[in-house]
Amino acid sequence: MSALAITATAVRRVLRDRTALFFLVVLPVVVILIIGFTVRGFSTFRVGVVDLGAGAAGRDVTTALTHTGDLAVQRFTTTRAAAQAVARGQISTAVVLPAGMDAALRAGRTVDVGVVSEQADTAQQAAAQAVTTVISRHGARVQAALFAAARSPASFDAALARASALQEGGGAQVTVASRQADRRANVLPQGFEYSAPTELVLFVFLSALTGGANVIDSRRLGIYERVAAAPVRASTVVVGEALGFAAIAVMQAGLIVLVGAVVFGVSWGNPPAAAVLVVLWALVGAGAGMLSGTLFRTPEQATAVGPVVGIAFAMLGGCMWPLSIVSSTMREVGHVTPHAWAVDAWTALLARHGTLGSIGRELAVLAAFAAGFLVIATRRFARVVAAR
Amino acid sequence: MGAMSPLLECRGLAKRFGDRTAVDDVSFEVGAGEIYGLLGPNGAGKTTTIKMVCGLLAPDAGTVLVAGRSMGEDLSAKSLVGYVPQDVALYPDLTAMENLTFLGRLYRLGGKVLEERIEEALELTELTDRGGDRVESFSGGMKRRLNIAAGLLHRPELLVLDEPTVGVDPQSRHAILERVRELGTTGMGVVYTTHYMEEAERVCDRVAIVDRGRLVAEGTRRELVAQLGERDRIDLTATGDLAEMARRCRAIVGVDDAVAADGSLQVVADDGRKVLPAILQAAEAVPVAVDSVQVVEPDLEAVFLHLTGTALRE
Repeated sequence: MSALAITATAVRRVLRDRTALFFLVVLPVVVILIIGFTVRGFSTFRVGVVDLGAGAAGRDVTTALTHTGDLAVQRFTTTRAAAQAVARGQISTAVVLPAGMDAALRAGRTVDVGVVSEQADTAQQAAAQAVTTVISRHGARVQAALFAAARSPASFDAALARASALQEGGGAQVTVASRQADRRANVLPQGFEYSAPTELVLFVFLSALTGGANVIDSRRLGIYERVAAAPVRASTVVVGEALGFAAIAVMQAGLIVLVGAVVFGVSWGNPPAAAVLVVLWALVGAGAGMLSGTLFRTPEQATAVGPVVGIAFAMLGGCMWPLSIVSSTMREVGHVTPHAWAVDAWTALLARHGTLGSIGRELAVLAAFAAGFLVIATRRFARVVAAR
Repeated sequence: MGAMSPLLECRGLAKRFGDRTAVDDVSFEVGAGEIYGLLGPNGAGKTTTIKMVCGLLAPDAGTVLVAGRSMGEDLSAKSLVGYVPQDVALYPDLTAMENLTFLGRLYRLGGKVLEERIEEALELTELTDRGGDRVESFSGGMKRRLNIAAGLLHRPELLVLDEPTVGVDPQSRHAILERVRELGTTGMGVVYTTHYMEEAERVCDRVAIVDRGRLVAEGTRRELVAQLGERDRIDLTATGDLAEMARRCRAIVGVDDAVAADGSLQVVADDGRKVLPAILQAAEAVPVAVDSVQVVEPDLEAVFLHLTGTALRE
């Protein structure tokens, strides 16, 4: 009962603190929103189209590009304007549809469609690849239509319409299914499915670190001395405070999960695995928060240094950008933080349909971090409240 | 003290912090319904002593028994003691009732009983109508009263108050002293530390004089004053070299002791009126400009001066 009284008081004080609520609730949602939109932008390429008088074939290609979900089409009147836009990064690539393209295709002549991109930019290369695929598919339809028109009474237009219908309608097709040999390889969730879990990791830890200020505040107010005068063991106080930290962390994580699912459509993966991951991360946060409460001397120190440490850990651990884009050395350094293991686990759950079993290693490492933080914090904390 | 076993029994308490001895072989007893004062200047060892009494500090030597239970070995001994720390130890962002609820639960109070105790404690400290207000909105005196209410919540047999009137306005101070006196009449034992002589005289049944970690004397006011014999105390307010003046006064026949502090001089003498001319001559000789002179009957201040050679306010 005493431990729960301490927990309830700790939670009540946090929920009554408007500044704490801003950092617990409002800021994470805003950051998820911003990063979610930013990361989603990476998977949609802006493509310029320059139609120099290509006719019906040009219109067909433009329509095909527009209907591809990953491409946003923007029209340009000259090749030069499109090339400038590519150089400035305003569009990823540009397609130049030559004059007389439709007539040339009907006559069975070869047509060169220009694609403008900068080879040094991987995003532009990917965009050019996506555009090339669309044009190749249109080329295949034209060839099929020419073949059919030459060997049957059907006109080229009728044959082209038939070829298009067959291609879209799921006639005989050959598709390539690829599978990655390394299960921890570079497969990342996109958009909010990337930002929501990484921000959950960042903010739960950050809030716990700054929450250490409440412990310091209680110490300075003489509350622990008063508690120590009651028939309460030091271990009870430690348990009560740890449960308070964990409860706040679980509440914050739960809120982010809920908002992520309802507002941003994040799936969060396998429910039991996600639940275990949230609880373990809450315990990591609880340990870190209590440690912060015993390491710093003043609440101001905890609220000033805590965010710096929390953001540094988040950067190293892959909450700000994927660790797949950093060097292998930095990747290893990143895994010194618990954040990297938590992000790995979320990535496995959201991008690779991971289960409790498949993220067992990450969960074990997080459990070790939680235990380590809690043991050190408990020893330091007990000294604060116990009789000397 | 009667033949009954004491409520609080401290034997040979000692505590060192590094090279400094904070409490040195302190022993005393407090009976049920008795208000026992620990009187001494700041740094005398009063707070260290009561922290050992409340189980907040483990003594290096000695024992503390509360109703026969050993503090430090028997956790239940703590439930018999109500501790009122020197500084207000309450959450300012919680209401008075929320603070009391939190502290009451630490003493395993709950439900209807806790509600009743909170009501009772708020009533006793005249804070009933402010129970739902946050502590940060309280005046200093109200916070002090709530601090005391928190110590009374579980109806302790022994209440330990550590300088409860420091920084409190005269009206609140009066109210606090009245409450403490009332508590003594309910059968509750009270340990009251203070460095205000007049508080010790007004509130306490018995007083222990503490100086430099040692308990130098204890007894009722009458018993302590009797140690002085029929000596008078002469208080002078003056400006000039008061240390030299004190030295010269101590050389006067009939002067027992003389101490200078904070623009005043205290002289203890067998017959105050008889030695007064010699004291004024000494003032002229130093020279010291005397603003006022007062010859007072023996009190605890004079006893303290006599026993320790220092003034309480030093």
